[in-house]
Amino acid sequence: MTLKKIVDVLTDKGANFCDIRKERWESTLLTLKDGKIERMVSGEEEGAMVRVLFQNGWGCVGTSALERLNDAAERALGMAKQNDRFKSEETGLASIEPYTGKSYMPAEIKFEDVSFEEKMSFMDELHGSLQRDHVKTIDIHYKDSVVQKEIVNSEGTHVEMQIPRLITYMIITGKNNGRIQQASEGVGGTGGYELKEGVYEKVDTVLNRLHDLLEAEAAPSGKLPLIMDHHLTGVFVHEAFGHAAEADLVVSGNSCLENKLGEMVAGENVTIIDDPTFPGYGSFPYDDEGTKTRRRVLVDAGKLNDYIMDRESAWKLGLEPNGGARAEDFRVKPIVRMSNTLLKARDMKMDELLEGVDRGIYARSSSGGQVSPAQGTFQFNAQVAYLIEDGELTKPLRDVSFSGFTLDTLKNIVGITDEMKTGVGHCGKGQTAAVSDGGPQVLISEVTVGGR
Amino acid sequence: MISESVKETLEKINKSGLEGDVYGIESRNVTYSIKKGEISDISDSEEVGMGIRVQKDGKIGFAYCVPGKEERCVLKAKKLSKFSQELDLTFPSTKNVPDVKTFDAKIKRAMEGDEGIDLTQNMLEAANGVKKDIIPTGGGLKLMVGKIVVGNTSGTLLEEKKTKIVCGITATIKGEITSLTASEADCSRRLDLEVETVGKTAAKKVDSMRESSSIETGPQTVVMSPDAFSNILWFTLAQSISGENVRKSKSYFKGKLGESVADSNVNLLDDPTREWGMGSTGFDDEGVATSPLHIISDGILKNFLYDLKEGVRSNTESTGNGIRGNFKSPPQICDRNLVLTGGDNKTDSMFPKDGVYIDGVMGAHTSNPVSGDFSIVANPAWLIERGEKVGRLDGIMLSGNIHECLGRIELGNDHRRTYLQMGARDIKVELPSVRITEMSISSG
Ligand SMILES: [Zn+2]
Repeated sequence: MTLKKIVDVLTDKGANFCDIRKERWESTLLTLKDGKIERMVSGEEEGAMVRVLFQNGWGCVGTSALERLNDAAERALGMAKQNDRFKSEETGLASIEPYTGKSYMPAEIKFEDVSFEEKMSFMDELHGSLQRDHVKTIDIHYKDSVVQKEIVNSEGTHVEMQIPRLITYMIITGKNNGRIQQASEGVGGTGGYELKEGVYEKVDTVLNRLHDLLEAEAAPSGKLPLIMDHHLTGVFVHEAFGHAAEADLVVSGNSCLENKLGEMVAGENVTIIDDPTFPGYGSFPYDDEGTKTRRRVLVDAGKLNDYIMDRESAWKLGLEPNGGARAEDFRVKPIVRMSNTLLKARDMKMDELLEGVDRGIYARSSSGGQVSPAQGTFQFNAQVAYLIEDGELTKPLRDVSFSGFTLDTLKNIVGITDEMKTGVGHCGKGQTAAVSDGGPQVLISEVTVGGR
Repeated sequence: MISESVKETLEKINKSGLEGDVYGIESRNVTYSIKKGEISDISDSEEVGMGIRVQKDGKIGFAYCVPGKEERCVLKAKKLSKFSQELDLTFPSTKNVPDVKTFDAKIKRAMEGDEGIDLTQNMLEAANGVKKDIIPTGGGLKLMVGKIVVGNTSGTLLEEKKTKIVCGITATIKGEITSLTASEADCSRRLDLEVETVGKTAAKKVDSMRESSSIETGPQTVVMSPDAFSNILWFTLAQSISGENVRKSKSYFKGKLGESVADSNVNLLDDPTREWGMGSTGFDDEGVATSPLHIISDGILKNFLYDLKEGVRSNTESTGNGIRGNFKSPPQICDRNLVLTGGDNKTDSMFPKDGVYIDGVMGAHTSNPVSGDFSIVANPAWLIERGEKVGRLDGIMLSGNIHECLGRIELGNDHRRTYLQMGARDIKVELPSVRITEMSISSG
C-alpha cells in the first residue's frame, strides 16, 4: 500500500487529520582514541511514523516494520480515539497550503564516495596535529549521516527531502599537579565530506585552551559582569532564550514568554533569530510536518516578535506555522525545536567591552547548559574562563558555570561586538536534535557565577 | 521472532569460519504525555534490531541491521574488522546466569488495554486536587516491554524479558511575571507505582515554594534529595570508575585502588542482581553473567568496571559491564544498577540548624567528568532555618568537587530508585538523601 493509500483509509475511518513520515537513514560513526580505531559503526535503517488526530485526541505510532504499516496506522487511530475520550481542550492544526516538492540539500563530496580508508587517514592526520607535550590523551569523533524523508498528509502535502550532516570533534586531556583537565572543539554542518576541513582551524584553539586549563584556578562566586565569546553567546541564546520561545511550551503554560508577543523582553540592541535556512548544523528545508521552513526573527530590537511553531501550537496561538516541528527519527513524534539560533552582531570591538569591566569574567566555549523555561532559570557552563581586572585578562579559571533569569538577563546585555561566529551542538528535549548557535562577543552587566 | 534471527545469524557466522556475537532486541513502549492538566497525546514506538560483531584474525568488526538483512550485515562486519586493532577476544561460554526479576506481565497487559491511560489519569487527578491554582503542565507516563537476546559462537544463547514503568509530573503555579514549578517522578519494573503519590507530591512541592527567601554567597550545609544527588554523582563519577578511563589516566581514581576515597560509611555497589532494580539483569549485553560489584566499600576503592574488550587490554576479566545504548551501538563500559548506601541516618534528623535543602539540579551534565568538579544550579531549593524548610531560593548555584564531597558526606535512610533518561544514556541509581557540609553556594 502506498503512503497516500494508508492516509486515505484513515481519513475514511474518521480521522480529522493524519500524516506519515517515512525515513531512511545511513550513517557512519568513527572514534579514534590515542591514534587507534576504537569504534567503527556503519549501518542503515528505515521506518515510519503515523500520526492521527481524531476529534481532539492524538495517536502516534513509530515502527521499523514497514511491511506492517497498515497495522501501525490502525493502532494510531485507536490511540487517538482513546486519547480523545480523556480530553476536553479543543485542538487543531493551523492551516497551510499543502506543500508538494522535493528538496535535496547539496553535498560537494558525497559521504558514500569517500572510502573508510580516507576517513581514517583524515582522523590520523588530525590526531597527528594535536600531539604536544601537554596533551596526554586524544579522542577524535567523526559522524556522517544522510536521511531521506518522505512526508505525506491527509491534506495533500507530499514532500521528499534529503539531508546530509557531518560532525567531527576532538577531546584532549592533560595533567598538571595531579589535576586532570579536558578541552574539546569541533565543527559540523549540513553538506558533504568537505565540511570536515573546518576542524583544522580549531586545532590551535583547543590546544591553547587545554594549556590554559592546566594553569587555571577555581573561579570566584557571586554576581559579576560576564563577557562571552561567540560560541558561549550561542549557548546562552539557546538556553536563556531559545527554549522559552518554543511554542509547544508557550501554549502548555511552560514558558516565561507566554502572552508577551509585542512586548520588550530585551534591550533595543538585541535581535535574536532562529533560522533553519541559514547554512548550519541545524538546517533543513521542510520540517517534520512537511511545512516549508523560514527564518524567524524571535526578538526584533528588543521586542518579542515571533515564536518557533509547529502547526498545533500555531493553531492555539492563532498564528502562522513557521516550520518548527522536528523529530529525532521515525520512532518519535515531532515536537517544537530550534534550528540555527543566532544573536545579531552590532558595532563594538572586544577592547571596548573589556574597557568597561573593573572586575569580571571572560568565558569561552561551552559544554552545554540547561533551562527551566517556565521559571526562566537557566544554567550554562564555560570550558575555560579568565578573570578580568581593570579591563585586563589576568588569570585562567576552570569549572565555572553561570546562571540567571531569562527576562532579567536579556535586559542586562550592555555590549555586543561586530563579528559573529557559530558553533555546533546537540540539544536535548527528550529527543536529540542537531543545532547550531552563535553570535558576536557579548558583555552582560551581571550574572550569577558558580565558583568557589 | 528476534530469537530465531539471532540464532540464524550465529549459524551464518559459524559457517563462515568466524567468531562473533549477536545482540538482538525487540521492544515496544507506549507514552501518555501530559500538557496543561490533560493527556495531550499517546505515542507508541516499536524497536527491532540486531548488533553483530565478528572476529577475524583477532580483529573485531561491528555492524547493525533489522531482521532479514543478516547476511549483508555479517559481511559488512567482516569487512570492517580489518580496520580495527588486533584484540583476540574470547567470547564467553555462559551457561548459568543469576535469576533476576525483571519482567512483570501486568505492565504488558496495561500497555495493551486502558490501564496505562487510567494510571496517567489518576496521577493527573491527584496533582489537580491539591490546590486550585496548581496545574500539572507537563510530564507523562511510559510503559516499556522488551526482550533481549544475546548469543555468541562459543555456544552462549541467553534471553531476558524486561518491563519498566516510568512516570513524572511537573506542577506549576502561574505568576504575574514568572511561574513556579516543581517535579516529581518515580520508576519501577513492576506495576506497583503509587502514581497518586507522585501527582500529589509534585503539587505539594510547588505549593511549598510560594514564599521566597534569600541567602548570601558562601559555604553552607546542604541536604540533597536522592534525585538531586544521583544526578551529580553520576555525571562526576561514572567515567572515573571505568577500567578504560583508569588505564588511560582519564580517571581521578587512577592509582587509588585500595585507598580511602570516601568517608568510611560510604558504600557504592553496582548490583545488577538486585530484585526489580531499574538496571538489573542476569547477563550484560555481551553475554557475561552478572554479579554484584563493590566499587567503594567502607570508603575504600575496591574495583573498576570492565567489558570484554577492556578486560583483554587491562589484562583482567570482564565484570559484566558491557552495555549497549541500543542495537546500533557496540558495547561500552557502563554501570548497570548503582546503589549508594551507608550511615543510615534518619533523614528527618539530618536537617541542619541553618542551611539549604536541594530537591533538583540543573546542568549536572556539564560537570567535569574527569576531575569531578561541578558548578550547577540548585532548583528547586529552600532555605533551612532553625532546622525547618522555610522559603524557596531562586537561582542559587552550587559548586564543588565530588571527591571532596564524598569525604564528608552523610547518608540518610530514605533509599529510593532514581531514573533519568538523557539521550541514549539511562541513568539509574538507588540512594538516600545526603547531607554535605561546607558546600559553596552562590546567591541567586
Ligand atoms: Zn537545548
